[in-house]
Order: sequence, then C-alpha cells, then structure tokens
Amino acid sequence: MTASAMGPRAAAHRAESLGAGLPPLLVAAERVATTVAQGVHGRRRVGQGDSFWQFRPYVAGDAASAIDWRQTAKGDRAYVRDTEWEAAQTVLLWRYNGATMRWRSRFATVEKGERAELLLLALASLLLRAGERVALLGRRPVAGRGALERLAMILEREAADTLPGPAAAMEMPPPRHAACVLIGDFLDPLEEIEAAIARLAARHVRGHILQVLDPAEIMLPYTGRVRFLGLGLPADTLVPRVEGVREAYAARLAEQQDGLAAIARAAGWSFGVHRTDHAPELALLALHQALAPRREGA
Amino acid sequence: MTFTAPALLLGLVALPLLWWLLRVTPPAPRQERFPAIRLLLGLAAREETPARTPWWLLALRLAACTLAIVGLAGPVLNAGGRLAGKGPLLLVLDNGWASGADWPTRIAAAEAVAARADRAGRKVALLATAPAEDGTQPRVEPPVPFAVLRTRLAALAPQPWPADRATSARALETFLAAGDPAGMDVAYVADGLTDGPLPAWRRFAADLARAGPVTVLQTPTPQAVLMLPPVSRADALVARLARASQPEAATYDVLAQAGAGRTLARVVARFAPGAATASVPVALPMSLRNSLDRLVLATSSPSPGAAAGPALRSAGAIALLDERWRRRPVGLVAGNPLTAGTPLLGELYYLQRAMAPFADLRTGTIRSLLASPLSVLVLADVPLPPGPDREAVDSFVTHGGLLLRFAGPETAAHPDPLLPVKLLAGDRRLGGAMSWTKPQGLLPFPASSPFFGLPTPKNVHVRRQVLAQPDLALARHVWASLADGTPLVTAATHGRGRIVLVHTTANADWSDLPLSGLFVSMMQRLVMLSSGVADVAGNQPLAPAATLSGYGELGPPPPRAGAIVAARVAATPVSPTHPPGFYGPESGRRALNLGAAIAPPTAAPAIAGASVVSLGLPPRSRAFGPWLLALAGLLLAIDLVIALGLRGLLRPAAAALVLLLLPIPAHAQPMPPAPTPRATAPSASIRPVPPLPTTIPRAALHTTLGYILTGDATVDRISREGLAALSDFVTAHTAATLGPPEAVVPGRDDLSFYPLLYWPITTAEPDLSAAAVAALNAYMAYGGIILIDTRDGEPGFAPGAGQALRRLTRGLAIPALAPLTTQHVLTRTFYLLPQFPGRFPSGTVWVQRGQDRANDSVSPVVIGGGDWAAAWATDAAGSFLYATIPGGNRQRVYAYRFGVNLVMYALTGNYKGDQVQVPAILRRLGR
Repeated sequence: MTASAMGPRAAAHRAESLGAGLPPLLVAAERVATTVAQGVHGRRRVGQGDSFWQFRPYVAGDAASAIDWRQTAKGDRAYVRDTEWEAAQTVLLWRYNGATMRWRSRFATVEKGERAELLLLALASLLLRAGERVALLGRRPVAGRGALERLAMILEREAADTLPGPAAAMEMPPPRHAACVLIGDFLDPLEEIEAAIARLAARHVRGHILQVLDPAEIMLPYTGRVRFLGLGLPADTLVPRVEGVREAYAARLAEQQDGLAAIARAAGWSFGVHRTDHAPELALLALHQALAPRREGA
Repeated sequence: MTFTAPALLLGLVALPLLWWLLRVTPPAPRQERFPAIRLLLGLAAREETPARTPWWLLALRLAACTLAIVGLAGPVLNAGGRLAGKGPLLLVLDNGWASGADWPTRIAAAEAVAARADRAGRKVALLATAPAEDGTQPRVEPPVPFAVLRTRLAALAPQPWPADRATSARALETFLAAGDPAGMDVAYVADGLTDGPLPAWRRFAADLARAGPVTVLQTPTPQAVLMLPPVSRADALVARLARASQPEAATYDVLAQAGAGRTLARVVARFAPGAATASVPVALPMSLRNSLDRLVLATSSPSPGAAAGPALRSAGAIALLDERWRRRPVGLVAGNPLTAGTPLLGELYYLQRAMAPFADLRTGTIRSLLASPLSVLVLADVPLPPGPDREAVDSFVTHGGLLLRFAGPETAAHPDPLLPVKLLAGDRRLGGAMSWTKPQGLLPFPASSPFFGLPTPKNVHVRRQVLAQPDLALARHVWASLADGTPLVTAATHGRGRIVLVHTTANADWSDLPLSGLFVSMMQRLVMLSSGVADVAGNQPLAPAATLSGYGELGPPPPRAGAIVAARVAATPVSPTHPPGFYGPESGRRALNLGAAIAPPTAAPAIAGASVVSLGLPPRSRAFGPWLLALAGLLLAIDLVIALGLRGLLRPAAAALVLLLLPIPAHAQPMPPAPTPRATAPSASIRPVPPLPTTIPRAALHTTLGYILTGDATVDRISREGLAALSDFVTAHTAATLGPPEAVVPGRDDLSFYPLLYWPITTAEPDLSAAAVAALNAYMAYGGIILIDTRDGEPGFAPGAGQALRRLTRGLAIPALAPLTTQHVLTRTFYLLPQFPGRFPSGTVWVQRGQDRANDSVSPVVIGGGDWAAAWATDAAGSFLYATIPGGNRQRVYAYRFGVNLVMYALTGNYKGDQVQVPAILRRLGR
C-alpha cells in the first residue's frame, strides 16, 4: 500500500505518529542573514524578530523608523527598540518517485517509493513540530498545523521522476543556505547526480542524500536463468546464472554508493542508505542526526 | 509385438526435427523486473553461457517423446500373428473332463485367439463340445463380438463328463448348413482325446476341417489322466491310472483322503515311457483304509518329503470310494453249529476273534447267509454235498465271492468240487505215536501269495492237514506251505470269485495256527482280498447326494442330476443327468466314478490339414501402451523439475509437489485397450428407461398393507377398517411402522409395493381377469403373501364361500397346502400362537406344504376362514365394530396377534424360524 493509496491524510497521520517518537528536531541554523526569516525560537541576541529584546540609546546611523517613540517620550534620550533575532531554517525535501521506486521484490513488504514518502513526511512532521519551515524542493514552504496534510496532498500530486533540475526551472528557487534532504534510489549515472547536487550546492544549500533500496537490489537473491527487465527503462538482459554475477553486481553497487558518498562529501553533504526491509525509524534517526545542530557550531 | 495403431509410429519421423528444435532452443528463462538493471547490463554479456540445451536433457526429452509416440501407437505384447480368414472365427472349445486340469490355460488361449479375431474386426462363434450342466447339448453359438463372448467364456466351466463328439459334429453340420462359411476359419482348443469311439471323432474332425482352415491349440501330448476305480488287494488298495499312451514317462502323486479332504497317505504313481496305465498300491492299516473317502491325483511334488503338489482339478482325477471298498460282510458256517462257538474248542471261536475287528461277521446256515450280500463265506469243515447248498455257494463264488474253507475231518472224508485243489482222501497226521514225522513249521510265504511279507513265527506247528493231490499246476495254487513243502493254503479262481482252502482246521485241533498272531493277519488279508459289498441293491433309486464338478470338487448336485437305480449304478454312463459323485442315502452310498464309466483315454488322431499350435502356457497378450505413456509422463515430469531447476524456480516444496502430482497410470488393461465402437455398439446401446409413473402409490413411501377390492362395498369397508386397525396395532406394538392400507385391483395396480395382501372371498365376486391372475401369480412368485379369507369360519356363516374360493383361485399358482400347525414359523414370528382365530374361531388355516427354497420357504398364500378383518376392525374411536364369535377378549387378542405375526412373517420371512424364540420354545417343551 502506498502513501497515495492510503490517502494523503492518512499518510500524514502515519508519518506524524512516526515522528512523534523522536525529540523535536532542532535544525542547526547558520548565521546567514539573508536567509533568516521570522521564527518562534529566539537566538538570545539582537536581531530581526517580533519579540522585544532590549532598548538601547539611539546611535547615529540607526534608521529613524527604528526609534521607539513611546520609550523615547519617557525621557530625553531617544531609544531604539531592539527585537530578538528569531531565525527559522527552511528545510527542502525531495523524494524521487520514478518507475524504479514503484517496485518491490518479494523480499520486502513495501515499495521503495512508499517508504521514501513515509520518511519524507515523518521528517516533515518533526521539522514542523520544531518550528522549521518545510518545503518541497522547488515549492513554497508550508507551515502551521495543517502543513503536514498539505504537504501530503502536494506529494500525492507531484511527480518527481527526474533529479532536481536547475533552480531557474523551479516554481520557487531554493533559498540560499537552506537545508535539503534528497530521498531516492539514486541508481542513475553518477554524473547526472553529481550535476544535480552541484546545482544545489552552488546555492549554498547543504543537505543529505538518503538512498532507499530494496533488499533484492542489494543482495541480488535470484538464482538460475533469469531475464531481467528494466523499469521505465527499455532495457533487458538475460543472465544465465544469476549466482555467477552476484559478486560482480555487489561490486558495482558498492561502486555506485561510493560514488554517491564522494559526491555528497564534495558538496559538504552527508549520505545514507536505507533498506526497505529495515525499520523506517532507523532512517529517520539518521536524518535527524544529519540535520541536528552540530555542537561545535551551536 | 504388434501395434493397434501403427500409423502413429510415423510420428517418430518427426523426432530429428524435435531434436534440432530442442537443441537450438534453450530453456525459456524466468522473467524478473528489476530496477537496478543498469548495474546488471554489462555483467550479463560477460557471464552468459552458450544457450544450448544440455545433451542429457535433450536425450531425456527425446526419450519421453519416443515413449509417448510408441505408447499411443498401442503396442501389444504376445498378440499372436494375424489370423488367416476374413469371416467369423469359429472357436471350438473342449470342455469335457479332460480339460479341467489346465482349464485356465485353455480359456486364456481361447480368449487370446478371440481377441486376435476381434482386432481384425471379426466376430467369434463358440462351440463348447461337452453337454452343459443343465443338459443342453453342444451347439454352435452365433457369432458375437469379443466383448460379448468374453463374459460367455468366463462363464464356461469344464464339465465332469467327456466331450460329446457325435453331437458336436451334428451341431457343426447344422451351423455349416445354416450359415455362410465363406472366409471362416476354426480355432480348436482341444483336449487331445477322442472322448469316445473313434468314428464319432472322425466325423467331428471332418466337420471341423470342412468349416475352414483349422488351427488346433493343444498340448503336444494329451495331459489328461484318468483315475480308474481302485482295486482292493489284501494288503493295499491299488490305485489305477490311465492316460493316452505317449512316449514320455510321467509321475503323479496319489493322495488317499478321508472325509473333509484329510490326506492319510501319499504314494507316487509312475507311468513308464509308452505306458498307458499305471498302478500303485496304497498300503494303509485296516482301520485307516476303511475311513478312506477318495483317491485324488495330484501333480508330483519334487521330493518325497515335501508337501503334496496341488491336486489335479479334474473330475477324472478323483476316484470316489464307497462301501464296496470298505465293508466286508463275512459269513461264518461251522460244521456243527452247536459247538461252533465253544470257547477255545469251537470251530468258529478263533475265527470270530480274528475277524471281528475288521469284518462284519454273521453266522447261520449257508442259504440264510447267502440271502444277503456277502464278501466272504467261511466254511469251517463243512462238506458240500450236492444239493441246493452247493449250488448257492457255487453261484456265490462264480459271481465274485470269496469262499474260504477250512479243512477238518468232514472235509477230509468227503471232498467236493468246490475246492481249489484235488485232495487226497483222508488226512495226514504229523508227529504222534504212530508217525515218524514231526509237526511242521511254516515256510516263508511265496511272492505270489497275498500273505507275502508276513513274518512266519517259529512256534507255529501244524500237526494234521489234508493233502493236495500232487499236480503240475499245484504250485500255482499254493499260497502257503509247510516246511516240508506240502501246501497249507491253496487258492483257485472260480468264475469271478475265488476259493481258498486252509488245509487244516479253524480251531486248535490240528495246528497252532489259530493261536498265533499270524492267523489274524492272514484272515485280514484274505478278507481284504474279497470285493466289498454295497449294502443297497435292487431297484431302489439312489438320489444324488454329492457330485463332482468339472474341477473335481465335490458339491451339491446340480438341479438336473437324477437318481440311479441301485442295481444299475455300475452300468450307468456319466452324463449331465448322472454326474459322477455319491448317490444314495448316507448309510449306503454308491460312488459313480468317471473312471469306471468311460473308456480309457485315447489320443485323438491329427486333423487333416490342421496347423497345430502348442497350448503350453502362452504368454498373456498384454497391451502396455498405457505404461509407456505413464513412463513418458514420468520423464516429462522429471524434465519439468530439471527445467525448473535450470531456471532457478525450483524450491523444495515445489519439487515435492511436482513429484506428488506425477501422473499415476491407470492399471494397464489386457487387450483390448479400447474396444472399437463397432465392437461395443450392440452391447453399449442403452435401452430407453421407461418413464417413471406419474402417480406413484402411497404404498411406495411407507410399508403398507393392501386389500383386494371385491366389489362388495361392505366387505371392502371392513377390509379397510380391519387393516387400518391392524396397521395401527402393528405400529404401536412392533418396530414396524405401517402406513394406512390401500385398496388394490390386481392387474391394474402395481402389487410390488405390498408385502401382504388381504383378500376376502365373496360369492358375488366376478372371476379374475387374465391380467389379474398373471399379476397375482407374479406377486406370489416374487415373495408376496396373500391372506385369503373365506369369512365362513364355521359352515353356514357364508354359504358358497368354498365354491367361490375354488372359482376365484382357479388360475392361481397355489402351491401344495398343509394345515398351519404350531410348528410353522408363522406361529412364532412375533407372538407364540396356539390358535389363529379371527371373528370366528378359524378352523384350519392352510399354508404352503414343505420347503420351497425359491422363496425362502415363505408360504406365498395363507388361506383360512377366520374373517380376520372384521375381528380387527375398529371405528374412529377405537371400539370394535364386530363382535367375536363365540366371543371374549382373548379371541380378539389372538386375532390381533395372528395379524401381527402375519405382518412379521411377510416382512421378515423365515427369519424367526429358529432363532429368537428358542429359549421360550425350549421352556415350553420342557414343561
């Protein structure tokens, strides 16, 4: 049963319950002024925000509009009202749902795409609870109580059967210094993946790549004479003895994953692998750790 | 090996093509969708092996296909060659006594020939050459397909009488005259014997040859062996065997069996090469010998210690023994009857004690003894002066009796012609004061003597004897002699009988012989030398008691078997009317033996122009196509498993499933595997089932009593009310549940639903129609019971009822009747009834007399005048409608009980005849 088959609302609820098991996720925010937006958690320092922080005497250069006239009227000095700097991180989420994701082997109980959407929504639930702004990559952010449901609705509608394209082609280009989580099987040629990641990294987006694989894709548990047919790819190949190519396949898969890890490292990203026959909480925890504020940077 | 559909073998031509196809076509791979195919793309090309089917898999598949093609072509092993002719096949089968021993082989051979004809699409006419058990003479049965003939062949059995050549020849002539013999040929499963006079055989053989080309199926030499009636000898019973003369030696076991097939002795009989007869003595102690019931021929067992081989299953292989081989009435006559029995001195004293254990002793005068059959007449020093006595004795010996005489003073003084040797006048005294000689002992018995082998004790001495006139022929007559060479026992044949003289007295006056054990043995052998006597004689008819089947099994006589007049048993030929077996009452059974009744077997001359096929043990014709198909299926299943393994689809569970689902072949049938439509057309045509009657009487749903409508409304109402009340009573008091009674009209209604019909007789009732008579007769014949009630009780209540009864039952098959007594099972089927009253105290109630096995001894009719329905009848409130006469509750109760018993009798037959009421009956008898 896929997330879409459950209905967006049910999928959102399931993801939320999954997310409820983890502490609210604090996304480490980096000090990049242009990306700071109004948020609910103060930075214990002066900055843009709604919450009062302190009054300070007017100094030359302050904008006249910044003067708090009521406070100024109490004395003879002009005061400027400082607000607490409140910053909310925008987390961009993306999952791949091409033909290769809508498949499961008999060794797994869920399709890869379904697992990917579940992970995405669970992560979104965590982030929303922590007050972060969540957006699908290339879309407007959602926030608030109904945000998760809206996200699920969008997910159901949106097809993402190619890697993220150039920012110019997006409805809303990713904000700079945003965080990004890409979930998919990443079986495409490494060059294409590298190009896509590079485009995002060029906008100072840092992020995480989560590769979701079916156990059959990892272990190649078939035997005998098998004709393999591609999904969404008009290719097929006849393997006389699958047992004979299992090691070579494993080497190729490792090569692909090493390549992915190298791409992620080069862009300052992190990389993880999730098997659909493992519990989704493991992957969520990995994502949580990847997005959690680094102690040295806090 | 032949094929029923050889055209299919052309399919084998396609095998090379199949081979090529299989060779270039690898097994189809399994298809898997796989997202990560990009990672696999390069790998496959490097690892793919040449896409060729392995050679062993190729061989497996080719073998499976070859088996399937050959199997479909219908191979038949040992089908035999094709038959010569085109028309019907005439199958002639000898089923006389000589075919019993190897009957299965013969039937198998006949079936094989008929099956071959059937494969050629030919019908088969059958002629069995022996008369059937029911006396049907041999006749040619019209040609039928094998499918029909097969059951007929299975029903055939060897008969215990010889084949009838003359009648068979006539049957053949009739058949040839009636039918068109064009293209016909003849298969003759022969017993190899003429089975009767040679001319009849010649005529039969000529007719066979005239019918068409003849193929004779027979053993190289006739195997039939006939056991002739044994001959009693003093020390043994001599079994005699006869066969058609042939060059091979043969060995058989002769089993001497007492009642119930207990084998008491086994001896080996050997036919010398070229011999047609063989004989072997069966030596048994006297008492055992007298208990013998039959001599049975068995196949020779390999070693003497081993158990006897199986008995030959033929009526000819059994000699039944009756009293003639057992009882030996011996008549004793003494010269002086007054002192004959005096202890230690009397002339018969020692004889009686010596012979009593094994002979039936009688004493009296010569003529009184000879008035009844005797085996041995013993005259102890009785002279036979000319007269009626001597004539009687002469006649007795001439007709086969044994005359045993003892010498003595009288005999010595008056010799007569009825002596084996001429005697010197006077006697010779050995020892004593006036003699130089001494009492003489015995010489060992000569080999020609019946006493040969008996030990001669040293202490037996003969002091006086009568002497035979020295004669050249004397030595031939001597059975025992004294040490000095003078004869002690001499014998001579006289007519069919024998005269034996002991040259000394029967008491101890002249010798010690009667005091010795030797005397007993000698008397025993002498008595056994005589021929036995059957007790029954004259014109008394002897009913068959047990007869032999064609397989040599003693069983109840067939219905056709008839009695034989006692005096003519020996002259009676064996036939369906007189099958071999025991005749007469238990006390005096006479055996009719096949061996005594027919001539010794004679080998039949070859039929001119006939080809002879050895019967032997032909290998059974067997269609093994189904087995080949099954094997092909098995190979294909194995191939499937292998293919699955090659494609990686094989998991243990799947493999087990495949192996479990292997096609299990139906049992391969012997020929023909699939009867042609032509062959089955006549038998397979299904007769149209008559449509069920639209109105099924209610009697079909419940057990229901019926009453016959008389036309008199009052009587019919009484019948209905009476039966209704009885039905309720039966339902209330017994396990039987009866529905309301139904009125029936014989001839219109189906009577088969009613176990019991009540039929009141009225004077006004019109005569029965022919259909009604037929319906009632059929009803009675198939187990129905009719209670006919004249309703007159005592004369005067219903005048004219007797005449009406006679008039109405004129056409009915009423059996012989007897009054119903308390011995009859009807009086104890439920209640124990001393009387059977209805409304009137019924006089005599009549039921069938005697036993009729056809209907389980159940009387089909019960006739009385009790007016029972009136006694049973009640109104709706349950009160009785008609007073009983003379009256009383007891009479009513008995009327009902009679009704219950009658219903139970109708429902259970003679079931209660002897079982349930036994304790009560015994108690009453004891009272």
